[in-house]
This record gives sequence, C-alpha cells and structure tokens, in this order.
Amino acid sequence: MIRIGLRDARSHFGRFIMSIVAIALGVSFVVGSFCFREMLDNQVSQMMSTNADHDVYVRGSQEKKNSSAMSMGSTKSYNTIDTDLADDIAKIDGVSSAHVIYGLSGVVLLDKHGDAVTTVGSPTLAMGMGKSEPWRSAKFTAGTWPKNGDEIALHSFAAEQSKLKVGDKTKIVYPDGARDVTVSGIFTTDASQAGAIIIAIDPATAKEETNQQSDDPDKASLISVYGNNTTPLTAEQQQQLSDRINRKLPKSAKAHAITGDAYRDESTKSTQDALGFVQPLILIFAVIALFVGSFIIANTFSMIVRESMRGYALLRSIGASPLQVFTTVIVQAVLLGLVGSAAGIALGWGMVKLIASGLSNMGMPLTGATDPSVSDMLIGLLVGLVVTLIGAALPARNAALAPPIQAMNETVNPEKPVHMRGIIGTTMVALGFLSWAFTYVLASADGNGPTPWKMINDIAVGWPLGIGAALAVIGVIVAGPAYVSTAGTILGWLPSKIFTVTGRLAQRNISRSKRRTSNTAAALFVGVAIVSCLGVVATSAKASVNSLIDTGLKADFAISSASGGRIPDQAIKDIENVDGVKHVVSNRVVLGVKYDGKSVSGFTFATQPELFTKIFAAETTEGDAVSALKDGKLLVGKTIADDRGWHVGQKVKVTAENTVVDEQATAKAQADYQAKVKAHAQELQTQAQQMAASGDMAGAQAKAKEIEQYTDKAKNVDPKTLVKTKKVNTKKTLTIGAIVSNSVYRDFAIINDDLAEQIGNKQTMFVMQAYVTDRRGSDTTQVKKAIKKAVKKYYTISVFDRDEYKSTMSSMINQMLMVLYALLALSIIIAIFGIVNTLALSVSERTKEIGLLRAIGTSRGQVRGMLGIEAAIISVFGTVMGLVVGVSAGVVIRAVYAAKGLETLAIPWQQLLVFLLLSIVVGLVSSISPASRALKQPVLDAVASE
Amino acid sequence: MARHTFHDTQHTTDKTPDDGIVARAIDLTKVYGSKDNEVTALNHVNVEFRRGEMTAIMGPSGSGKSTLMHCMAGLDTPSSGRVIVEGLEVSSMNQKQLTDLRREQIGFIFQSFNLVPTLSAEENILLPLQIAKRPIDRDWFNQVVKVVGLEKRLSHRPSQLSGGQQQRVACARAIMARPSVIFADEPTGNLDSRSSREVLSFLRDSVRDYGQSIVMVTHDPRAASFADRVLVLADGNITRDMQHPTYDEILEVFAGNDDDADNIDSVTATEVAQA
Repeated sequence: MIRIGLRDARSHFGRFIMSIVAIALGVSFVVGSFCFREMLDNQVSQMMSTNADHDVYVRGSQEKKNSSAMSMGSTKSYNTIDTDLADDIAKIDGVSSAHVIYGLSGVVLLDKHGDAVTTVGSPTLAMGMGKSEPWRSAKFTAGTWPKNGDEIALHSFAAEQSKLKVGDKTKIVYPDGARDVTVSGIFTTDASQAGAIIIAIDPATAKEETNQQSDDPDKASLISVYGNNTTPLTAEQQQQLSDRINRKLPKSAKAHAITGDAYRDESTKSTQDALGFVQPLILIFAVIALFVGSFIIANTFSMIVRESMRGYALLRSIGASPLQVFTTVIVQAVLLGLVGSAAGIALGWGMVKLIASGLSNMGMPLTGATDPSVSDMLIGLLVGLVVTLIGAALPARNAALAPPIQAMNETVNPEKPVHMRGIIGTTMVALGFLSWAFTYVLASADGNGPTPWKMINDIAVGWPLGIGAALAVIGVIVAGPAYVSTAGTILGWLPSKIFTVTGRLAQRNISRSKRRTSNTAAALFVGVAIVSCLGVVATSAKASVNSLIDTGLKADFAISSASGGRIPDQAIKDIENVDGVKHVVSNRVVLGVKYDGKSVSGFTFATQPELFTKIFAAETTEGDAVSALKDGKLLVGKTIADDRGWHVGQKVKVTAENTVVDEQATAKAQADYQAKVKAHAQELQTQAQQMAASGDMAGAQAKAKEIEQYTDKAKNVDPKTLVKTKKVNTKKTLTIGAIVSNSVYRDFAIINDDLAEQIGNKQTMFVMQAYVTDRRGSDTTQVKKAIKKAVKKYYTISVFDRDEYKSTMSSMINQMLMVLYALLALSIIIAIFGIVNTLALSVSERTKEIGLLRAIGTSRGQVRGMLGIEAAIISVFGTVMGLVVGVSAGVVIRAVYAAKGLETLAIPWQQLLVFLLLSIVVGLVSSISPASRALKQPVLDAVASE
Repeated sequence: MARHTFHDTQHTTDKTPDDGIVARAIDLTKVYGSKDNEVTALNHVNVEFRRGEMTAIMGPSGSGKSTLMHCMAGLDTPSSGRVIVEGLEVSSMNQKQLTDLRREQIGFIFQSFNLVPTLSAEENILLPLQIAKRPIDRDWFNQVVKVVGLEKRLSHRPSQLSGGQQQRVACARAIMARPSVIFADEPTGNLDSRSSREVLSFLRDSVRDYGQSIVMVTHDPRAASFADRVLVLADGNITRDMQHPTYDEILEVFAGNDDDADNIDSVTATEVAQA
C-alpha cells in the first residue's frame, strides 16, 4: 500500500507543487522567526559579554519601582550609589580596578572630511576609558588609549565609518560643544557593535561631560570591577570576589555586588525581552501561510482523491481494507509535508541570512549566529508535517470510506448547513465590537471611569482592545460561510449586469461550497485586516503631526540638536543675530524638580511667554497660559493635572536639589592652592638665594629655572580640578496658573525663565528645543540658509522649516508603512495560492458542467471570464471583510490613544481603495491558471457519457 | 420576428443550394491509439443526414456510433476525411469557429448532466441564446415550454426535477435556438420507459411540426423506432441504412447478438478493470 502511495505521489507531483510552496512558505516563517529571534538574542549576548565584560558589578541594593511608563522589557532599576564607593572598592583585595564607567550617548564624531558620522538608528557612544580604566575586551590594532581630553581612540567600525587613522586630527562634538582631538588608537572587539559608533575618551572628560547633564553627579547606578585587567575571571572567582566585596561594603552605602555573569544574564534577558515583539509579528504571518497551506493541501487531496476514486474502489473491491486505502493517501501527505518543510527550513534560513546581510549593508553589521538550531529545524519539520496531515486527513478518510458505488458517480454531496456558524460567528463579531466600544468609553472617560465598579474601571485598555480584536477576527472567520451567498449576490451584482451570463453563473457558483469560498477569502481577510488597521493608525499619526504643525505651530523654524538634545546657549544667541530672525523662543530643561515631593512624568522646562503667543496657540482647560507665564505662575500639562487632581489657583510646593559650584569653597580652594604655590615658590626662592649667597651660581640659576617652571605649571593647572561643589536645595511655593492641554505639553510642567533661575541652576539647565519666527516679508529660504550657516560650527544643530519638520515626523511613519506593505505583499501571495487552488478544485469538480457550457456555445473567453469573476468575488469578499474589521480596529485604537498623540483620525481612503482594486486584480490573476486547466480539458471528455 | 430573420439568413448563406442535406461525412476515418495497438473506430465512412429528418445511429458498443456523432458535431477531430455541416467544414475549424458553429448550427442533448445545476429550468433553456447574445423570442419560448410540458417547473433548479423532466428541459434548450441540427447522445439512456417515450415523442414532433433535423445515437431499438431513418454501425462501417423501420425490423437486425446491448453494469465492470 505504501508503494502504491509513493507511486501515486510521483504521478501527482505537479499537483503538489502549490501545496509544497504553501507549506514551505509557512514553515519558512516559523523557522525564520525563531532563527531571527536567535540571531538577535545571540547578538545581544555577544555584545553583552563584550561590552559588559567586568567581573563584578556593584549596584544599589534596593529595587525601585519603575516609574517611567515608557520603559519596555523587564529592566529592574535600583537605587543609585555614591561614586566615591569606587575608590573604596578598588582597595579591596583582589580588585584590580573599580570605576564608574561614564558613557555619553549624544556625541557626534566628525569624519575625515569634517562631516558628522551617521548611523542607521544605532547610537554614537563615547565611553570613558584609558590606561588606568581599560576595557578588557578592546584589543588595539594600532596606537593606544587616549591620554587626556585631547585624544580619542576609535572602535574599528567607527574608524572604518569615519575613515580616520591613528594620528589624524578631527573633532568630537560633546553636548556642550565641539572639541579638537587626535586619534590615539584603534581597537577591535569580538562582537560587532550592531552599527554603533564607539569612541573611547579620557575618563575625566567623560565624567565631566556626564556630570553636566546629570541630576546628581555624585551618584551612579553601577560601579564596574575588574579582578584582573587582562584575563577574565572564572565564574567561581567572580563569585569569590563579589562575596569579598559584599563583606566589605558598608550597610550605609546601600550597595550590593553581583557577579559579572549574573549581571550579563540579567541584562541580556531584558534586552532580548524588549526585542521579543518581533517574533510574534512574524508568526502571525506564519499562521496565515500555514492555514492557507493546510487548506490548499485539503483541496489538492480532495481533487486527487476524487480522480482516483475508481482506483480506490478497485482496491477495495479486491479486498483492501479502508485503513490500507487511507494509508496510500497519507503516505503521499507525509512525503509532501517532508519536502515542503525541508524547503521551508532552507527558505527561512536564507531569509534570515538575507536580512542579516541587508542590515550589514545598511551599516549595521551583526555577528549573531544566523544558522537555525536543530530544534528550530525540528519545529519547522513538525509544523509542516502536522499541517499537511491535518489537511490530508479528511480527503483520505473519504477515499477510505466511500462505498465503491458512490465512487462511480460524480455527485457532490451537499454541504452541511452553515446557519449555526453564521449565528455563532456573528455573535462573536458583535461581542468584539461591544468590547471595542467599551474600550473606547474606558479610554475617553475622565477621572473616575465609565462604570460604578472600580475594578472594571482599572482594567488596562489593552485587554478589551485585544479581546475585541480576537473576537472580531475569529468571529468573521467562523461566520464567513454564512455570508458567502449574500456577498456573492452583492459583489456579483455589478458583474452580472455587465456580463449577463458569465456574471450570473459566477455569482451562483460562489455559494456552491460556502466553506471553501469563505476559507479561501479568510487568508486575504486576516492580512488585509492587519495592514488596514495599522494603516489607519499610521495615517492618523501622520495627520495628527501635520495638523499639529499646520494649526498649532506658528514658528517658521524649529531648532533641535541631534546629540543629546542640548543646544549651546551661544548657538541661541547666534541664531538671534541672524538677519531676518525676529524672535527665538527657547525651551530650557530644568532637571531635578519635584512637585509636592514627586517628579512629573515628563520634565520641567522654562520658556518665555512668547511660546504661547508666537509659536503655539495655547490650549488650556483652565487658566490663561500667557498671563500665567508672565506672572511667574506654574503651568502644568493636563495629564499631570488629572493625575494629581490639580486645579488653577492651587498652591504646589516645588523643590529642587542642585549640585552647584560652591563659590566660597572654590575661592578658598583656589586661595589655598595659590598660597601653597606661593609658599613653595618662596621656599625655592629662599633656597636659590642661599645658593647664590654660598656662591653656587649654577645651582642658583637652576633653582631660578625650577621656580619659573613651577609657577608656569601652577598657572596652567586646570582650574576645574579646584572647583568645589555643594548641594543646594531650593524650595518654593508656586501657584498653578494654567492647565495646558496642547498634546505636546501634556506631560510637562512649564515655568518662566526667572523662576527657573530661582529654582534650578544655570549650569544644569540646557536648551532642548528652540523655535524661530522670521521677520514678516523676509525670504524664508534665505533666512533658513543664514541660520544653518550660523549654527554650522556646532555641528549637531538641525534647522527644520515647517515642511521639513512635518516630514521628519512622517518619514518614520512612512518607513513603518513600507514594512506594512511588505507584509501585505506577503499575504497577497499566500492568498493568491489559496484562490488558485480553490478554483482549481472547483474546476475539477465542474469538469462536466464546463464541458456542457462549452458544448452549447460558451466561448473560451466566456469560461475565463466566469472563473475570473468568481475569483474576483472571493478576493474582494476577503478584502472587504478585512477592510471593515481592520479600519474599525484602527479607529478604536486611534480613539484609545488619542491623548498620546493620535489626535486626528485619518482614514487612508485612497490606500484602501487601492487595496480593493488590487484585490480585483489578485482575483483575476489567480483565475488564469485554473481557467487554462479547465479549457485544456477536451469538451468531448467532459460530456461523453461512456 | 427575430427568429425568422435569423432562419432566413441561415438559408440564404448556405453555400450549397438546398439539396436537402444538413450534414455529411466524407471518407471519415478515426483511429485511436498508437501504432502498436490501433483501434479503428470509423473506417472510411460516407454518410449524409437529411434536413427535417430524425436519424438514429445504432450499433453495438465499440461500433463507432458515438465517435461518428462526436466527429459530426465537432467534439472530436477525425483522423482523415471531412465533416460538413450546413456547408461549413467542421473538421478544419479552430476553437473560435467551433464556438460559433455550436452557437448557430448545432444543438446538443446528452445522456446525463445536461443542465447547469446553479441555473433554473428557464435559465437553462435560455442559456445558449444568452451566451451567444442573441435575442430571445418569447413566443417561441412559450410554445416550446408548453410542448415539453414544463410550464409549472420553469423556476425549479435541476436538482428539483426528475430525470425525465431534466431531459425535457435539455430538449427544450436544444430546440430553443432552432439549430440546423440537434445531436442527441443516448438521450433516453438514463430514463424509464415512460419518460423515454415522452422525450422521444417530443423530438419526433419537433421534426414533424417544425422541420427540425436530429441525429440521435442510441442502443435502444425502441428509441430508434421513433426515427425516420436508422443507420447501423459495426466495426467502424455502416452496415445497414433503413428508412422508417418498424420496431420489429430493428429488433431483427440485432437478433442473436443481444449481448452487445449496452448496460450500465458491463460498462462499470470494464472501467473499474481499466482503472
């Protein structure tokens, strides 16, 4: 029996191709998604072991609740610890070095030609490293560590991108300005840095730059410890060292040491979790492909079984058992599943390789392994086989159990009724929409929530949203067959008016096997639903940004900094001096401000009243923004006000802890130093005089030279080393003057510049965003050029006019849309397979009927037309359902996140229309091959009675 | 009126002056299979079918009777020889010409599966005209429907009709377009004797009353006895050509070789064996 099955499989191979492709596609997504995930994981852990290669890490001992809503993944945060602790730890036995590693993420490196080195999304990082604080994983290929702030060392990828060599002079732009540096060395690391530009800078410089942006320079989150500066410690040694450090750490330090391995595992996991969202997205499409695949296989085997029925009847009549007949069919399915899965594994592997090489071409080299593991392959194989067997099981059963007599005549058994599915499915869809409606009410409710039950009001909106989506999608698939007839009538109306006969035939053929039609359409339905939903969200996001700029932003230019968001004060002054510039409004971030003891979700910034007269039209729910700013009152965003229950007129205690230069102490330190220098010089002078007196002229001269050198050195001493800082706590009670509801400022607290200086401290405040209006009548492009010229020397400052400002926001969204279209293309390909297959099956079932039609004068074109219309109705049916569900989901999502920047609802009608037209084309294209097959059949064979 | 116009044109465009022949086969040969196992289904057959006559083709299974009809109707291509229907050479036609021929000159009635299952009886009857985008003559339609006795069944789907009713719908459909010739392939093969009689009477009446030409393949002497002329084939040759034979005369021809009469069971047995 197995031999018969194998022989059958060989003769049916042509039939199997489409099934194999479908299975291969599905399996390739499964394998590819696992493989891609593993590649990312691998890359992350490689980077972790290279970039976090310390033997022991010391961090805060108390876990903090994560206050930031933006943080993703499972990152835990701990209390910060004193930086001074590093010195104590360094003295512990077995510790060769212990440092706080300062890293700056907003720097810009200029390449050989003086242009900024850009990356694709990866950061440019400047890390404090040097001979005394080495990075163990870095291996120098040329030169060595930077000795001071005038030198830098480059990671090989950074050197490659900037084309800089050891000894080359260039500039590095720190948040506070550019600095001339010389490349002192180039080093490599085992793991690629995923496109990041890594620069080693002098640790003192790194600390200084970091401190400028820090709330509290004396605190750090992590102290990194090497037990040995050249060779990594074993796990056991790490454990011993961390235990020793823990014993020595004073309880008051609130610090705790963990082994490097533990730390790496922890951070690897949290990074991997954060990247984990990619896989389910790919898997959705794998599921679609496999669903269609299984369905195609069922269809294919139905065809094969029908055609071989007489053979099976013969086998049965000469004594084969039903199980044996079943086996002949299943053997073919197993074979098909194996071939399809193998092809799919190869395809998935290739896809991941392609993605990896694509990324590396784009400037993001990855060293993570791209090869699928054995378990990936087994999963792929298993999935492919199971899906194939599920698809083949029913036809195989029919083959085995059909009585020989039934095998002889071609009657198609009538379908089971579909009313029940219609009722169940429709109920599910209705519940889904109800759930969405509830989501909407929940999201748009102010304060207390829509229901009297607190428990329900506290449900995160994601739940009803997701449940609604699941119910709607599954409901439509369940109910689909019940609506096929209606859909055929409606969608077939137009074709049946244009092509009276073929249109009407097609219209009726659609509802002949409702389940099959509906399942075929389902593939397209799911794909289109996902894409149109995201399309609505993306378009709304774009429209929201645009309308914000069109209606809200009155400025002619927006100025922002590419690096760390800091715009030097001098740059603002330079812009103010540009000819044609009328007004510059700068938003200055004030760090470390707390309101009634708690910080706000966004941050505090200081600005001028012009922000709300010349730049943005203020939207307030209470109070007047402009006068509030003028009067030195506090403005809070609506989100904060809602959160805290604040209203205009209420008084809020504002506290700020600032680390400031202790003028007195600094003056004293300087005076002390001067005195020390003076005393020493005096002492040398005395010695010289004594020498001169004793006749040692040469000695006296040498001493005089020493004095000169010493005083020179004293003069050149970096005054920064003498700066003493102190902590200053400012307290102030402010009255709330207005509650701002402009979407951009909802999470912020706003004060005027005077207040900012009283509360904060000038050194830690920095301008993050500036807006420029030009003089009426001046040429905008000219002014823009002039501004650009004025800020060129700061390298990192970008000037956007209104259109550019819009497009920077939307280009990101456009990129996302591109990915969506790729997914759509994918689901279309899969759907085409489904439709082709369904039509092929239906043609094979209707051989006689089509022959009859041909015999009574139907032309080839008319047969093609009929099948084309059938296919188009199927694909339009799927697309329309997808559009309805997808757009509804998009509308709900938009409404739910209206407060998070999706203010304007925009439905991409044009795009949706293109989807619809595309679906007609898809249908017509799908019908070509089945129609050809139908026409190849000689009329005689179809109608001959013998 | 449209019908008459159509009918008139058809006659005036006839290339040959009306010699009373609607279709003819000239030296028609059909060979199946490859060199090694050749089967000659038709062996240099010459035959003419006269206008306004019902001709029955009889013969044992494998005699070539169906092949002759299929070649005449353009459903099969002969190995050599010519087929001419209404002065048009069918044997050399391409697909488009064949489609036109089927639309204008030929009607079909098959043994089974004559109707499109998704269409009602009325729609099935009108289908050939609609496919050919020809105008529908309602008077003629009503007349045909009345003759076949389907007035009350017009809105029924084929699955709601009995076998005899289905076959009468097929007859109505064939005659609706008033083709030059109707080819009927075992039209009563699946019917009981009463339904057979109804269908055959209708076919005979259409010949008598409307001058319709019909060529019918059958193995049933009773059915053949309705014909004006009976041709008997054996081994690819016409062995008898009888004018208005009686039932007994036909029976006589087949006396002694009853086992040649087709029956469903023997067909099934052979085919299962082949499969």
